[in-house]
Parts: sequence; structure tokens; C-alpha cells
Amino acid sequence: MKDRPRSFRARVSCLLLACLAVGGLAACGGSSGGGGGEQSEGSTLTVLAASSLTDTFEELEGTFEEQNGGVDVSTSFAGSSELLTQIQQGAPADVFASADEEKMNTALEEGLVAEPEVFVRNRPVVIVPADNPAGIEEFRDLAEADAQIVLAEEAVPIARYAEEVLDNADAEYGGGFAQRVRDKIVSREANVRASANRVALGEADATFVYVSDVTEDIRNQVRVIEIPEELNVVATYPIATIEESQNPELAQAWVNLVLSDEGQRVLEKYNFEPVDQS
Amino acid sequence: MLAGFISLPLLSLVIWTVNEGAWRAMSSPVALDALLLSAKTTAVTMAIILVVGTPAAFVLARAEFPGKRLVNTLVDIPAVLPPSAAGIALLLAFGRMGLLGEHLRVLGIELSFTTAAVVMAELFVASHFYVRQAAVGFAGIDRDVEEAAMVDGAGRTGVFTKITLPLAFPALVAGAVTAWARALGEFGGTIVFAGSFQGVTQTMPLAIYGTLERDFDAAVALSVLVLGFSFAVILAARFFTRRAGGHAGQD
Repeated sequence: MKDRPRSFRARVSCLLLACLAVGGLAACGGSSGGGGGEQSEGSTLTVLAASSLTDTFEELEGTFEEQNGGVDVSTSFAGSSELLTQIQQGAPADVFASADEEKMNTALEEGLVAEPEVFVRNRPVVIVPADNPAGIEEFRDLAEADAQIVLAEEAVPIARYAEEVLDNADAEYGGGFAQRVRDKIVSREANVRASANRVALGEADATFVYVSDVTEDIRNQVRVIEIPEELNVVATYPIATIEESQNPELAQAWVNLVLSDEGQRVLEKYNFEPVDQS
Repeated sequence: MLAGFISLPLLSLVIWTVNEGAWRAMSSPVALDALLLSAKTTAVTMAIILVVGTPAAFVLARAEFPGKRLVNTLVDIPAVLPPSAAGIALLLAFGRMGLLGEHLRVLGIELSFTTAAVVMAELFVASHFYVRQAAVGFAGIDRDVEEAAMVDGAGRTGVFTKITLPLAFPALVAGAVTAWARALGEFGGTIVFAGSFQGVTQTMPLAIYGTLERDFDAAVALSVLVLGFSFAVILAARFFTRRAGGHAGQD
């Protein structure tokens, strides 16, 4: 511990993360969870993915386990910023899928991941509760409405995209549009799904999510307010294998599955925009 | 061994303060707002707990009444309920769509995302620790002493303030410190019910969690701050018990 302060810090913060995280993260138990099986048979593949990928990656998990008999895939979903911290602190994992290129580039610069590949795109939208108590009919109303808005934590990709959109809107509409919307923020959530749930539960009047977050589960509880195309940004999702992976081949196999036609079909099913493979 | 297990992480926090970025991180607006908010909310929580909890504990210790067992159980439940479950329960009761919250909203009262919601979450999880220990303290007092004072002409309130309270004081302080510590550490209930916003609902534990992914140093700084804050409160509590103990001896 004395000569390896980094690993000590890693352990401390890993413990902290494990204790604090609201969502169930498999990061700390990732490698021990397999019960010490052989390399190929009974091995575990740990995938850290942006929380907006929850439904798609859970579906692909089944496909992957079918294709690679005996492999147990363990997926952990959180805000990409939280996942990056886990990787930086040495959490045992094999694949990282981020909801923005910034987090991935940081990981790449720090030598934590192999060369990333963009695998899908997504479109930010605003959602309001189905009964729309604040009367937000179009994007412009965000600044006018008497609304309680929630947004993901500052470092979370959706919050960064939302800030970009607000800046664009500010330039277009003027009148301190962005600041007026920011002033209505009452809570910063851990990730995009937590924000979506606040609105689905009717606790908040509006939030920024991706169009893919409007899943079956919440479709009837929320209404989608499109952001005008000229103001919107495109969310770009890169994926990469983690350098410290104990199972580099399996990790690469997961990346290949996500990039394959099959993987892209699943993503498309959930309203993601597949990348042009040409 | 246990002492070592506890002191090593604490020592690591202290050693970290030698780091040059430490002081800057500790005086950042996020850290100061969170510290101030934690101090404020736990102070309000403790005031409510002391005012409401002391008589409640006294009644639970002394009186027999129908439904006493039920009340006792109710007091104990929050202590074993995971705080995030407490947050969900609070949300279902007092949230905008909650059982009571829905009606409060009609009256223009909204609790979620407010500082009041933080206090409610703290109250919910912490009150048990004070009421339980205070009740034990009251129950442990020799009734003969009180009766002797009555015989000597002391009134009911006189007995309570001059005899019962001072005798139970160490138990009350111990209970208050435990309850305060629980309130200060409140995380799950707050993040679920009150949300997290700097200066309004983002208490120390939430700020530590929130900054961990952005800025590891800031998260450590907050942890050091909260450690110092806790230490100060425990010292103060010790000081008061000792002084009160001395007074009781003199009387």
C-alpha cells in the first residue's frame, strides 16, 4: 500500500462507489463474481455502459450469452462520467460504452481503453409528464413555463448536450433563454434514466433525455417535446475494450456484436440511430 | 485491530489534506454550500427531535397506554429500513403525486426538491436513535429519588427539570449525538425524496457522491470537511455532558 498509493486510492474509492451508488453496480465484484472459473468456460464479461443503453445492452446480453456458451455477461449502467471514474480508479471491467466522445477520449488519453469506435447516435429531446402540468407545448415554452425542471449531474453527457442545446437556443431566441431555463432546475440527477423517472413519476415538469429513453415502460406516462432541429445536437456513442481486461477476446467479441447488423437492429428498435458502416 | 481498521481510512483523509489542491477544493462553493446546508438541516432536525422526542421518550418510558407496542414498533422501523426505501416511502406520501402531497399541492405547498424535504428525510431516519436512547435514560432513573423530591415539596415540573432531566442528561446527549450523526449521514432518503441541488438539497453526503465522478479531490475535500465537522460536534457533546455531570454533582 505504501509503495502503491494509486491502488490504495483505487480501492478506497471503489468501496465508496460500491457503497454509495444508487443503481446496482457490479464494478467491485466484477471479477470475483464468476467464482474463479476457467478462462473461457464460466468466465464473466463486465460491460460498463451509459445508462441510456440499459434496455438495448440487456437485450444484447442474452444474445451474447447464447452465442458464447458458458460466459456470464454482467452489465453495469450509470452516467458515463461515473463509469469513467470507476475505470480510472481501476474497477475490473472489460468494455466501456460512453454516451459522449469526451469521456471516451479522456479514457483513451489516460491509456485506459483501446482505440474506440462510434457505434450509435442518439437524439436529445425534452420530456414532460403526460398530463403536462406546466403546459409545455413546445421547446420554446421551457423558458416561459412555471416549471420544475430536473437535469442530470453536470458531468453526465445528457447534461452537456442539454447545455449545448440551451446555448444554441440562447443565440436563436435571445432574452436570456438559457439562463431562464437553468433557473428552473430544482435537482441534478445521477444519470439520464433517473431524470426520466422524475418526469415519469410526475415529480418534475420537464427534463432532457434521449429519444431512446422513452421506452415502453414510461411511454404512457410522458410526452415528448422535440427540440427544433436547428438547435439540436447529435449524441455520439463510442465503445472500446478496456486495457486491463482479463478477457480481451470476449471484450472484442462484445464490441463486434454491438457493431454487427444484429446489434444495430436492436439499437434501432429502441430508437437509436445506427451508424453508417460504409 | 478494530481501532486500526477505523483509524487508517480516517488517517488517509487527514494525510490527504497536505495535498496542495486540498484547501482550494475545501473552500469551493460546492463544498461550502453543502457544509452550510448540512449544518442548517441537521440543526433544524435536531431541534424538532429534541422538542418532540423528549416528551415522547418520557411517555414511552413511563406511561402505559393502549397501542404502546405499536408506537414503539413505529419508532423502531426507520432504524432498520434502508434509507433509500425511506425515501421512496416519503415520496409516495409527500411527493407531488403522493397520498398527502397531492392535496398539499392544491394548497400550493410543494415539498419535493425543497430544503424542508431534506429535513423530513433526516427526521424520518434519525428520530429513532434519540427517542430510543432517551427512553432508556428515563426508564433507568430511580423513581425513589423523584418521590423523595416530591416529599420535600418539589412540584411536578420542578422534579422533571431539577431531577429527571439532569439524571437522564447523559443518555439524552448520547441519543442526540447518535441521531445527529445519522441525520448528517443521511443519503438515500434525501437523494430519492429531496433530489440534489447545490445550496438547496445537496447536503454533504450528496455533494460527495455528486463530485466523486467529476473531481476526486473535491470528493475527498468534502469528506475531510465532514470528518472535521463531526469531530467538532462530538467534542462539544462530550464537553456539555461533562459540565452537566459536574453541575449535577454539585447540586
